[in-house]
Amino acid sequence: MKKNKKTLFAQSMEQHKGIIYKVVNSYCQNHDDRQDLAQEILTTMWLAYDKYDKQFKFSTWMYRIALNVAISYYRKDSKREDKANAKEECIVHIADLSQEADKSEEIRQLYAFIAQLDKLNKAIMLLYLESESYENIANSLGISKTNVATRIGRIKEILKNKFVTQGA
Amino acid sequence: MNLDNVKTAWQQQNNDTGVAITINQTKLSDIKLNKQMQQLNNMKWMRIVESLAFFLIIVLLWQYIVTDFSLSAPTISAFVLNVFAIVGLAGNIGQIVLISQVDYSKPVSDLQKDIYSVCTHKLQLTKLLLMSVPFYMAYVFIGFDLLLGVDLFQHLEQHMIWFYSLSSTLLFFVTAYLLAKLDYKNISLTWVKNTIQFIVGERLVNMAQFINSIEST
Repeated sequence: MKKNKKTLFAQSMEQHKGIIYKVVNSYCQNHDDRQDLAQEILTTMWLAYDKYDKQFKFSTWMYRIALNVAISYYRKDSKREDKANAKEECIVHIADLSQEADKSEEIRQLYAFIAQLDKLNKAIMLLYLESESYENIANSLGISKTNVATRIGRIKEILKNKFVTQGA
Repeated sequence: MNLDNVKTAWQQQNNDTGVAITINQTKLSDIKLNKQMQQLNNMKWMRIVESLAFFLIIVLLWQYIVTDFSLSAPTISAFVLNVFAIVGLAGNIGQIVLISQVDYSKPVSDLQKDIYSVCTHKLQLTKLLLMSVPFYMAYVFIGFDLLLGVDLFQHLEQHMIWFYSLSSTLLFFVTAYLLAKLDYKNISLTWVKNTIQFIVGERLVNMAQFINSIEST
């Protein structure tokens, strides 16, 4: 039974692990924090997998957990925690975004832009880029559709102004 | 850059991250707790210990009331303090239930409010202590009775009774104002922010600001 659960989880995770990658790169600026957050997200998903409700798409469920863990993620003393983490076994390994040569300039710029947004707008942006409907975004975040639409409008405006300024 | 044009490239990352992220599935199945859940677990045990302390206080105060049951100031004081202890115990039990129900697959705003309520416990305990401030004489009356065996109220002069009554009434309004203001909804007020930060730390202030930003359009 446990083996079956593990296999199912591993398959689904392999298919959607890009979600973890995108969330940690959007919420953390330093590589150690990304590594630590990825581990927290993955282990939370594993521990919550028994309660996974199949009426949700796996990716939707994953996004909810990843965003919730990322938003409540807090490291008081990174250096001290890193020493502690060194002793822990590493379950997930994230490549350093700055070292990835295959990332297009557009995607790099997008990550840099997302990094400047507040926690809620980061979540909205991530879900919007996955082509989720406003209704799904509103449901995942627990806010109104109008709020989602307003915030996406503002984000687009900021992005447009930023690139107009850069182009000038 | 147009957001709608980069969506495809963004989603393409799902297929390109095979090397960028690797998961050790073998070690994963050995995981029983992670840091955030460990923190919640520790909080749950702390709340259980606090609940036992409140329970002990309630039992001792009831014993005190029953041993010398009369309409004296110390007995009434013990009764008042008992009410606060019962509120504290109920709050702790509520916290234990809340911690047990933390579900990371809930919508973001719901979970963040739950975690805020869990983390805000120290603030709630401070508020409970603050609520008992207008009844400060209750502590004094019980203290005199326990330590010296004296019912202080019987020895107070009329003008002192008026002074204590008036100061308690004034303190009641001051604490009522403070209790109403010390809430995440007022985190934009500098003194509220600083007070919450002093009592429970920076993390809760950040969470309060996040919850506020969720609720505003």
